[in-house]
Amino acid sequence: MLTALALRNVHKTFGATVAVEGMDLVVPRGALYGVIGPNGAGKTTCIRMIMSILFPDSGELSVLGHRSALEAKDRIGYLPEERGVYRKMKVGAFLIYMGELKGLAAEDAAARVPRLLQEVGLPGVESKRCEDLSKGMLQRVQFLAAVIHQPDLLILDEPFSGQDPVSVRILREHILKEHRRGATVLLSTHVMAHAEEMCQHVVMIHQGRKVLDEAMAGLRRQFDPRTIHFEPLDENATASRLGAHANVSSLSAVGGVERIETLDGSYRITLLPGTDPAAMMSRLASAVAPARIELARLTLEDVFVRIVAEGSHGKAASDALRASVTAGSEGVLA
Amino acid sequence: MKQSLRRIGLVARREFMAAVTNKGFVIGLLLMPAIIALLFAVFPRVLNRNVPAVRGEVAVVDPTGQVAGALRTALTADAITARRRESAMRALQNAPTVVRDAATSPAAIERTVGAAPELTILDRPAGADLQREKQWLTEPVAAGGLRHIALVVVHPDAVVAAGRTEYGSYDLFIPENIDDRLEIELYDAIRESLVAARIRNHNLNREEVEAVMRVRRAASVTVAAGAERQTNIAFNRMLPFVFAGLLVFGVMIGGQTLLTQTVEEKSNRVIEVLLSAVSPIELMAGKILGQMAVSMLVLAIYIGIGLVTLMSFAMIGLLDPLLILYLVVFFLISYLLFAAVFSAVGAAVNEMREAQSLMTPVMLLLMAPWMFATVIGREPNSAFAVALSFIPPVNTFAMMIRLGSATPPPTWQVLLTMIVGLAAACAVTWFAAKVFKVGLLMHGKAPDMATLMRWARQA
Repeated sequence: MLTALALRNVHKTFGATVAVEGMDLVVPRGALYGVIGPNGAGKTTCIRMIMSILFPDSGELSVLGHRSALEAKDRIGYLPEERGVYRKMKVGAFLIYMGELKGLAAEDAAARVPRLLQEVGLPGVESKRCEDLSKGMLQRVQFLAAVIHQPDLLILDEPFSGQDPVSVRILREHILKEHRRGATVLLSTHVMAHAEEMCQHVVMIHQGRKVLDEAMAGLRRQFDPRTIHFEPLDENATASRLGAHANVSSLSAVGGVERIETLDGSYRITLLPGTDPAAMMSRLASAVAPARIELARLTLEDVFVRIVAEGSHGKAASDALRASVTAGSEGVLA
Repeated sequence: MKQSLRRIGLVARREFMAAVTNKGFVIGLLLMPAIIALLFAVFPRVLNRNVPAVRGEVAVVDPTGQVAGALRTALTADAITARRRESAMRALQNAPTVVRDAATSPAAIERTVGAAPELTILDRPAGADLQREKQWLTEPVAAGGLRHIALVVVHPDAVVAAGRTEYGSYDLFIPENIDDRLEIELYDAIRESLVAARIRNHNLNREEVEAVMRVRRAASVTVAAGAERQTNIAFNRMLPFVFAGLLVFGVMIGGQTLLTQTVEEKSNRVIEVLLSAVSPIELMAGKILGQMAVSMLVLAIYIGIGLVTLMSFAMIGLLDPLLILYLVVFFLISYLLFAAVFSAVGAAVNEMREAQSLMTPVMLLLMAPWMFATVIGREPNSAFAVALSFIPPVNTFAMMIRLGSATPPPTWQVLLTMIVGLAAACAVTWFAAKVFKVGLLMHGKAPDMATLMRWARQA
């Protein structure tokens, strides 16, 4: 397996604050890795060290086979969390400038710009000044600045933060496209749902330490889901207390059910550990006629909160954590 | 290495283009010559509009009986204008003919010094009561009446000398609030009429005497080994200041833009995007070079304007071309030193407001040469001037003033100034680069000098 990126026992402190502690990470070439964790976990510090913008206090780094990203700058695309543009510069000129800095010839860069802008839904904005674009449009331009030179390694720090849904969709498509082209992609996000949808592999960071480093497939197996969403066919039954009670007793009577919570018009059924969800679903369906029955998907939030809560944290702490990593909690941005 | 140079070049090109395509730059470029033109063309007129045309009376007590009549002639408007013209001619003796002719036409003289006063002479008897006459000076005058301007008391031996050569003189009494220029006119006129009376008394011919007295002052020619050039005192006096001014101005233009651009990049958050493509040192080098090109362009334009002006007045021979070379060399040295500081300050702060407190000492250093300019210009080889030539960062400015002066310093001093300047520039750049590197990604509290030192140690 060829390695795109490797960190070995990396430490970084800022004054008295430990930002990253004992970080080990290996990203194989061609992988799509997600680095997740709440705000302030140390994601950006890790990425800046990978980019040689910051330097670790101790530990080793290897980027595309080099000891420092500085030696492979032209093969890396980077979209920092703190990203800006030259406000007075024209969009086309800015992209060409970034392309040239990344080693492209001016003509090559100039030839790519119109096509790239077209692809992200911004045809013909080359001659506009950056300050004349909306925030969402600018973020797409910034993304293009990171990929214009077709990098082998693409590092995206919170690529979706502050984006409108349309931009998020366009960006996601293009990140996946870069990945299909063969680029190794490492993206960080505090919105775990984004990582869940896209990444093959996730790394969780909490308080500067790596707490999880797993392929998504493996994660799904390891944290086997024991929750089934059940919506009865007879809606009226749940509306009346009597009917609801009858449903709950019928469902509880099925062996392997640990508990049932009544939600608005549906039930959340938690299974006993070790029960086979597939068999349970057919048994539940024969007990009460379902309108919809599905196995709840594992969310990274659940995994994260479970991992962290296994420590000394109480329920309040894990709730707070859950709130900070819940999908769409963009307002928590530092 | 090649890649690194390429990136530095790209950053420099962007900086240069961003600066020169800015509307403010073009305006700024035109503003300087415009201000100078304004100072020379408009300012004197605005000033002189306040000088009123004077109408008044001058009382004369003349026991000799020969002066009052001459004074009456000397104080006619025509005579006053003629004298003014003559003194203007003397002052402009070394100016080019075009300028002299334009500046000494009666209209030009009237424009610069105002209309000639209209003065009436009142003869007082030889035995007049001086106290009463003095009172006359302070008597109020009816609106529109003639002002009582002066009382001239001619000494009895003012025309015929008591001894062989000792002539008497005169006393002049004036009221308060007499314009000093008018007073000078009076001195000149009285002197003129006394001389006229004395010459007549000796039965001499006025024209002959004047011809005997007149010696045109020559324009000296400076002889250097192998070359001669014209000398012009006024030009020589101005030159050091012009060169020092260009030096300061060039450093300011590049330095200021460097500061604002860096602060903008930082507050725009474009910096981290850039840092993924270039190293901090490449970025700093590119920025410094780019702004240097901007400053050089501006200097080239101003020097060009200056040379064209000199040529059109046929004064180009006054300028030693070597001075321009020195200007470029000293500009590069002092620019490098100050630019490094400016960029480090730009990288250290979050916004322009915070830059002010760090910039104050830098600006003082940049302005310091002005405080010493006159002293150095007057005595370019004094111990003080020589010492300043070796103390960075003022050394380059001091040396430029000395080089522009009439007695340029020895070559070894010039070379030493260059070496000291370069060494200082390198040291400061080394320090500034460290601050720049650390400062770029620092946000939050504005750093003070102690913090900057700590950053430099960290980096």
